Amino acid sequence: MLSPASGTGQFFTKSVKIIRFVRQGCTNRPFFHIVVTEKRRDQFMPVIEQLGTYDPMPNQHNEKLVSLNYERIRHWIGNGATVSQPVEQLFGMSGFFPIHPTSYLAAWRNRRVLQEEALKEAEDKSKDKTV
Amino acid sequence: MFRLTNNLKNLTLSIEELSANYTNLQTVRWQRKPRWLPVAKSKVFRIPKKPETPQEDNLELQRLFNNYRTQIKSLRRHFFYKHHIQFLASEDPEQQRIIFEKDLDRCNKINDKWNAEQKVLREKRAQENLEVELEFARKRIEVENIKREEHKQKTEEYVKKVKEESKEFITAENIDKAIEIALNNPVDYNYALTPSGEKIFGRENNEFEVKEKISVKQ
Repeated sequence: MLSPASGTGQFFTKSVKIIRFVRQGCTNRPFFHIVVTEKRRDQFMPVIEQLGTYDPMPNQHNEKLVSLNYERIRHWIGNGATVSQPVEQLFGMSGFFPIHPTSYLAAWRNRRVLQEEALKEAEDKSKDKTV
Repeated sequence: MFRLTNNLKNLTLSIEELSANYTNLQTVRWQRKPRWLPVAKSKVFRIPKKPETPQEDNLELQRLFNNYRTQIKSLRRHFFYKHHIQFLASEDPEQQRIIFEKDLDRCNKINDKWNAEQKVLREKRAQENLEVELEFARKRIEVENIKREEHKQKTEEYVKKVKEESKEFITAENIDKAIEIALNNPVDYNYALTPSGEKIFGRENNEFEVKEKISVKQ
């Protein structure tokens, strides 16, 4: 008996709930469901409720598609569900939460890499000119 | 890799006993390597490089995290007061019904208004479509009429031509005359052609004598 991916709606009242990703998709093709579930359940156990989806692979318009059920997310957070860090980052990006500090960190690192590359290019160009 | 699906007995909808046949097994496709296997030989001495964060970044991160936690705390508190079960207003069915009916009435009014607007548009569009279709049909009739006219003319011409030709036909009345003419004017098609195109008539004017046929059988 397979349980539906949209959730069974069954849980213990006093258990710890968490909003987190479940990796669906298959090998080399990640796809995530955003679900609320009991924290002690493992990733692929039946979930309480599905709250959204996240497709990390960009589509032909270079978009990563996310869908979120804000009403239910509000309800579950109001009823004490915690949020895992990757989902917090996603919520930050979608404007539901403040931007997560790790998102800033990633941005700094990316910028630094870009700057270094630009510097390298400039140096290479100057070398070419001198030669 | 397999997993038992009714390991969550008290949570799944159907409560079944574990059976020896494989009806409760579910294949898991995303586990490539079991946890108990050792590190691959090629990866044993690989030391992943740790990302470095400068001191100033760390301080900034600390500040950001403090802010973030504070904001999240207040958000959570807000959601708690708004959505937690203990704060939900107890529902009076009569009141709920009145609210529902009011809302339904309002929605119906909006719907009727939209329907009226749409009706005008729809009728206008239908009228326009009808006009277009009528115009199309008229044009088709015109084209068809022209076609028929042309066909009629063609057939008439053909009939005229055939009538013209039929004057020379041999009928029961003039058959004797035709036979007489034919007998009086025998036509011999059995002629030879010279290279310059002259016709040589006659069968008895061969220079060479006709050799007698010798039967091969003899």
